[in-house]
Amino acid sequence: MIEPTLILGLLILVIGVLSVAFVRPKTYIARLINLEIPAWGLLLIMLTYGEALALLTFIAVTAIGTFVIVRLMEWRDASC
Amino acid sequence: MIAPYVVAAVAVFAVARALIERNTGRKLPYINVMSFAVAGALVMLLDHPLSLIAAAAYFVGSTLESNAIASTYAGEKDGGGGRG
Amino acid sequence: MNLILQAAFGLIALAGAVSAALIRDSYGKLISLGILVGGVMPFIVDRGYLDVAIAVSLIAPIATIFVLMVVRRAEV
Repeated sequence: MIEPTLILGLLILVIGVLSVAFVRPKTYIARLINLEIPAWGLLLIMLTYGEALALLTFIAVTAIGTFVIVRLMEWRDASC
Repeated sequence: MIAPYVVAAVAVFAVARALIERNTGRKLPYINVMSFAVAGALVMLLDHPLSLIAAAAYFVGSTLESNAIASTYAGEKDGGGGRG
Repeated sequence: MNLILQAAFGLIALAGAVSAALIRDSYGKLISLGILVGGVMPFIVDRGYLDVAIAVSLIAPIATIFVLMVVRRAEV
């Protein structure tokens, strides 16, 4: 019996990866926002294996990575 | 107990109504309704004292996020943009 | 959490993911991301990771506010 959390996580991961690869308005902002969808799918998949410290680290590193990409986009060109 | 099912039904209805709505400004009250319903459901799922703190943290966080989106959307629609 | 509640919150999470992938407006994308977080959160609490739930619900709005800085800079 496969768990429902794993199925839901895999579905969200596939949807998010396809939306990042084939992003509709081809801008950096849309790709950055779409990049957060597979992070939540991967969080649901990691929830199945029961490692609390891995979950906390993954959440914190995802937020820091978003902040770094935001700083990079503001530094590269102001109009994105 | 019927209370979690009522709260889940409210959340599903709010999400459906928010996704049908075309105008961005009118989506935000339904997002607030969904976050209230989810914060209520978090308390009823598990009997643990820390569950109340988790629900309060989600309540504060989702309200802050929704207010930030609404404030930026209104500031951008009024034209100008204070710090831009 | 029985099957009905799992189906309801899983439906909310899937609806948030699909609409965040399909909507073209930036504010609509962020709102759909909020719906996705609201659907994921009961699954975290149901397995007993309450500290993870507290951390997620405090860090997710901060990431949204970071993205909002770029959105405001781009739209104006």
